[in-house]
Amino acid sequence: MNAYYSELFSFHLPEVILTGGALLVLAADLLLGKFSSEPVRRALAALLGMLAMGFAAEALSPYLRGDTSALGQLCLLGLSGLTLLLIAGTSRLRHPAEHVALTLFATVGFSLMVTANNLLLVFLAFELSSITLYILAGFDKSSPASAEAALKYFLYGSVAAAFLLFGFSLLYGLTGEIELAELGAKLSVLPASPLLVIAWIMILAGFGYKAAAAPFHLWAPDAYQGAPAPSAALIAAGSKLAGMLLLVRLFAEIGFSPLGPALQTALALLIAASLLLGNVAALVQSNFRRLLAYSAIGHAGIVLLMIGIAPADPQMAFGDVLYYLLTYGLASVGAFGVAAVLEANDARGQKLSDFAGLWQRSPFLTICLLVFILSLAGVPPLAGFFAKFNAFYDVLGSLDSAALTSSPFFWLVLLAIAMSAVALYYYLQVLKQAFIAPAEETRPLRIALPATTALLFAAAGIVLLGIFPEHFLRLLF
Amino acid sequence: MEIGLHHFVTLASLLFVIGLVGVLVRRNTLVIYMCLEMMLSAATLALVAFSRYNNTMDGAIFVFFIITVAAAEVAVGLALIVALFRRRETVMVDELKELKH
Repeated sequence: MNAYYSELFSFHLPEVILTGGALLVLAADLLLGKFSSEPVRRALAALLGMLAMGFAAEALSPYLRGDTSALGQLCLLGLSGLTLLLIAGTSRLRHPAEHVALTLFATVGFSLMVTANNLLLVFLAFELSSITLYILAGFDKSSPASAEAALKYFLYGSVAAAFLLFGFSLLYGLTGEIELAELGAKLSVLPASPLLVIAWIMILAGFGYKAAAAPFHLWAPDAYQGAPAPSAALIAAGSKLAGMLLLVRLFAEIGFSPLGPALQTALALLIAASLLLGNVAALVQSNFRRLLAYSAIGHAGIVLLMIGIAPADPQMAFGDVLYYLLTYGLASVGAFGVAAVLEANDARGQKLSDFAGLWQRSPFLTICLLVFILSLAGVPPLAGFFAKFNAFYDVLGSLDSAALTSSPFFWLVLLAIAMSAVALYYYLQVLKQAFIAPAEETRPLRIALPATTALLFAAAGIVLLGIFPEHFLRLLF
Repeated sequence: MEIGLHHFVTLASLLFVIGLVGVLVRRNTLVIYMCLEMMLSAATLALVAFSRYNNTMDGAIFVFFIITVAAAEVAVGLALIVALFRRRETVMVDELKELKH
């Protein structure tokens, strides 16, 4: 029994380290918090949190070669680490230790989501990340907007979790298994049944919520707008990466069979709705965060497009989704970081017009914003372009070339390319404000060191992943 | 009449649909929470029934975890309602209209 448990600990060493780190952060704050001021407490908590993430990454490093899910975990740690830096650099909220500890717990959930091989573990990891994210979304207790965002996020999230769970219970009922590999083996010999279709539709609904894919996207604009900036960055980057890697694994292990066409149609509808709604609704937004939310819905469409090829080639789909969402995550953490710096200086950074004259106020911040926004828009040579190119190339490559035009995925790729052009318009609106619009406020911006570091890392990551994608992709394929 | 698996699955589906309709129709957040719990209970019931008829314990063990998770979820949800009520003095979802562009 003891040997068994110690083995379990060594398999989950990164998660154990993160959990221990979170408890340590809380304990340190409890013991030392009384004697120190709020900024010192925040710095201490963030430092301990970063150390825990560093040790967890160290524990992962032996597995990086040959195990792509370890690479996924490492990317998630990186994105959460940037969020911690944003907390240290821009947040003025009370209870910094709890803020950091919850971020660590959410990261444990993300990490487990990527490695889960069992329906029970999938559900627990999904819920661990969701529940901590609800708290993080409502962490600003002085703001009614934050509480409202958290409540809406909670309500949609709980319904999604219930759907997911009911879908799982049907899968279990059909096969009697909860291990993914055995479940997949039993499902592949079952005939298609209406129950199986219902189960899969329910699971897709649950994950559609995580990805903020239309029509399960209603929470996203409100949560992005109302949540404190570091929490919104975590929801946008880490949560989405973990959720989508988990969906790829589910599809890879369980597979579409025996109901390929029905499920593909459902997925195609989700993709088309997300691409159209996200990109068109983003055109009319005057709030920067809502704009990011609607653009995230559009990006979710492209990610689901890649997931559509998961049953045919899981390894490729996993790599493509990881590369795409890593670049997307870096860019959105960065964009939220820029907004957070503005908010820390002026107490406003929500509206697009708040970005007016940013170039005069802080050239560094504006260059960072330029990198993030152009990467989201998919402009070469930044990583966002190669991620999109890679996605479209692999999806088209996986289609049967003789019957190209009869596949819905071919038309969806065309739609996604057309929508990228639409997206360019609203992304450039942001840059127009930052570079051209006259400044109302000309005070230079003060950027705290941790925030500078986070922005620098995110921007450098995007540029390097864009110029030298082969170094990263070599680890994946 | 013999009570079989399909009776349980029908009942669970019915509970799930009632819960979902409640979430969509009701305006009071506390009632919505109850309906959410009903949706989770529906999944729990289905799991227990499947566990019995599949002759494996996995489903029954799953249920213990669900109950724990549901309790944690409600605790967070109620805390959010309290936080919101302190700022806005309402628990009705149709009065939550602060977040608009």
